[in-house]
Amino acid sequence: MRIRTIAHMVWLEAIRRKDVYVLLILLGGLLLALVSLNVFGLSGLVRYVADVGLLGAWLFGWILAVVLGARQLPTEESRGTIFALLAKPVSRAELMIGKWLGAWLAASLALAAFYVLTLAVVWARGGHFDPVTLLQALLLHLALLAVLTALALALSTRWHGDAACAGAFVLSGAAFFVVPQVPMLLPDMGRATGLLLHALYYLMPHLELFDLRRRLVHDWGPAPWDTVALTLFYGALFTAVLLMAAWLAYRNKRFPRSEWQ
Amino acid sequence: MPIVNAIEIRGLSVSFAARGSVVHAVRDLDLDVPEGRVFGFLGPNGAGKTTTMHVLLGFLSPTAGRASLFGEDVRRAIARERIGYLPENPDTYRFLSGRELLRMTGRLFRLSGRILRDRADRLIEELALTAAADRPIATYSRGMRQRVCLAQALINDPDLLILDEPTAGLDPIARLDIRRLILRLREAGKTVFFSSHELSEVELVCDHLAIMAGGRLAAQGPARQLVPAGESLEKFFVRVVSQPRGEM
Repeated sequence: MRIRTIAHMVWLEAIRRKDVYVLLILLGGLLLALVSLNVFGLSGLVRYVADVGLLGAWLFGWILAVVLGARQLPTEESRGTIFALLAKPVSRAELMIGKWLGAWLAASLALAAFYVLTLAVVWARGGHFDPVTLLQALLLHLALLAVLTALALALSTRWHGDAACAGAFVLSGAAFFVVPQVPMLLPDMGRATGLLLHALYYLMPHLELFDLRRRLVHDWGPAPWDTVALTLFYGALFTAVLLMAAWLAYRNKRFPRSEWQ
Repeated sequence: MPIVNAIEIRGLSVSFAARGSVVHAVRDLDLDVPEGRVFGFLGPNGAGKTTTMHVLLGFLSPTAGRASLFGEDVRRAIARERIGYLPENPDTYRFLSGRELLRMTGRLFRLSGRILRDRADRLIEELALTAAADRPIATYSRGMRQRVCLAQALINDPDLLILDEPTAGLDPIARLDIRRLILRLREAGKTVFFSSHELSEVELVCDHLAIMAGGRLAAQGPARQLVPAGESLEKFFVRVVSQPRGEM
């Protein structure tokens, strides 16, 4: 009940701060502009609209998950509400899980809205998505948001909100764009750098595994379900490890106000 | 059956490393707060009052010693089941309405349904928040925010209320409301442990006092016995906190 209550408060704050609506309007505007201006000069090729729509959902989902995850604890500390909250019979583990759950659910709702918007525009232009592939893409995307939210939350246990945000963007960006290229870079590297890159390759989350956009846009059909299930498990495992790290970093944390009064 | 104190502190010390030196915020503190008392916890700025409160609430781990609330070690979350806390300069979730805040807070104590609804409604009425109960807290005045924070500290009907400078920055009417509330809680047999710089307020409501100075307990006892006849609490306080260590 405590975890659910904390998550509910995070959810309410996310909904009432209107960040989600701004991104939704931005995505809607982008898609409508794309449809009406026909910037590619390829009338009827809805594949581009789908591609841009899903890219928007990815970008905005990424931003929301990181921002929501990173600001939870620093905001509680800076406005002093952490004291009233921890004065209740709430353990720091419950606090951590509740904050993560609320941030993940809020980012997930926004993501679902981004998908619905993209879907609506694609359908309006006469296109379609394979429903099974769409379901797989959405499930994997939700798992990705879980990892990103946990990463940002873990960093925010020791860093200020802005630093945690920046750190989570850099780390997740590196995980998405650099880590998959490591095997190609290895042959040109020395032994020490090679070992370092190897460690990086296995330690960092492989976020590219959660991306089914191309399969969806180019209608390649659903991925094997066992692969999807394994990737979901991988995401859950990474999320659990990050939350555990967050709890370890936070369980004995002293809050600055305590030290000088 | 042994008498259990609402608060029991034994040999409590809290030190911090700060900018290359060690700050001893609290040193070897022993303190008992019996149930049903209004206990004033006084001291100048930096005396260690808030640090002690933060140890009691589990925000800080002591460097040495131990503390318990109703016999439960303060490091356990269960120790906070029977307490309410109002921080110094409280702020809260401004995106919630007053009523939502109380209901959310109640759920953290596993309250639900009619009990929670009735308790929230009663506190809203008692603390004169009825007209604003469904408005976002962002629209509240400072005094109203203080009252809604106090209401959330009372939602679990606590046996011990810990108040950190509850009247700081409030107008005389709001102070009077807080004073009345403390007296009402005392009549109901609750324990109130509060720090304040407002010695006139303290004189009016406290039956026990403890005075901290430089992280140590400088004086403690029943208010009537502690302050010598003919001396005001203010004079006594200044004399006690000004004395060099060893003369206390």
